[in-house]
Amino acid sequence: MSRPPGRKQENHKISRDLFVLTYGALVAQLCKDYERDEDVNSCLDRMGYSIGIRLIDDFLAHSDVKKCRSYSETADVIAQVAFKMYLGVTPSVSCCSAAGNEFSLILDKNPLVDFVEELPAERASLCYCNLLCGVIRGALEMVQLAAEVTFLQDRLRGDAVTEIGITFLRKAEDRKHKRK
Amino acid sequence: MAVCIAVIAKENYPLYIRSIPTEDELKFHYTVHTSLDVVDEKISAMGKALVDQRELYLGLLYPTEDYKVYGYVTNSKVKFVMVVDSSNTALRDNEIRSMFRKLHNSYTDIMCNPFYNPGDRINSRAFDNMVNSMMMQVC
Repeated sequence: MSRPPGRKQENHKISRDLFVLTYGALVAQLCKDYERDEDVNSCLDRMGYSIGIRLIDDFLAHSDVKKCRSYSETADVIAQVAFKMYLGVTPSVSCCSAAGNEFSLILDKNPLVDFVEELPAERASLCYCNLLCGVIRGALEMVQLAAEVTFLQDRLRGDAVTEIGITFLRKAEDRKHKRK
Repeated sequence: MAVCIAVIAKENYPLYIRSIPTEDELKFHYTVHTSLDVVDEKISAMGKALVDQRELYLGLLYPTEDYKVYGYVTNSKVKFVMVVDSSNTALRDNEIRSMFRKLHNSYTDIMCNPFYNPGDRINSRAFDNMVNSMMMQVC
């Protein structure tokens, strides 16, 4: 089912409020379905993963990024191109390990939590935007980069900023050796 | 400027009611409860007269010797009732309207919160702060 060629240039924008409310309804329904926060978090992660493995092709088709030579370039592309394209925000990237495989994206504005004032008292350890972690993990896996993505800090849980941590699990040099 | 602010649900039970702590709170609860009849009367009267142009702001519901009660109803039949001190004559209609508009905006923000179920009591800090800002101006 390919799209008709004329549609390629159109930018279909839907209402941002509709998207944010849909995501909120999704999380609220998951909270009703599962009692434990960990179950809700893992369910959001799985959903995000299945979105990510599909979204990566759309991203690579619409953006003009070249092959990334290093993990820090990959993290920069995620922050400056991908987040900008899909969520309209640009988190800042910082590298937090000497080995160069752990990065953190700091979001000062998260559009998904626009309407959520704070988490309900019985859901104190809920990762509201865990879907984003799954999306990043799925997308990276489809370009042969295994990574662990988690929320290091979350404004909804009382921290000062929202911080997503990406840890790349295999070094790129191993792949180059295998090719040789 | 207000001494009591209440948000009443469509089924006429209170979602949020807050008054100045120094006064007898039960008296305000009673005042708000009796004003609901006037609100219903105004809604039904307006409905027959002007079907296209439904005004949300109901205006002065009834004056008592100490207080004046103002009402505002949304399209989803949620009512906002505000009790204002009669001695505060500087309060004009425009100011009351703008206060109700702020209340309505805060209420819509609460409705958009995915964890809020419509019909629950309102437990939001942002809403409390906004109501406090309206009530503290009395002192």
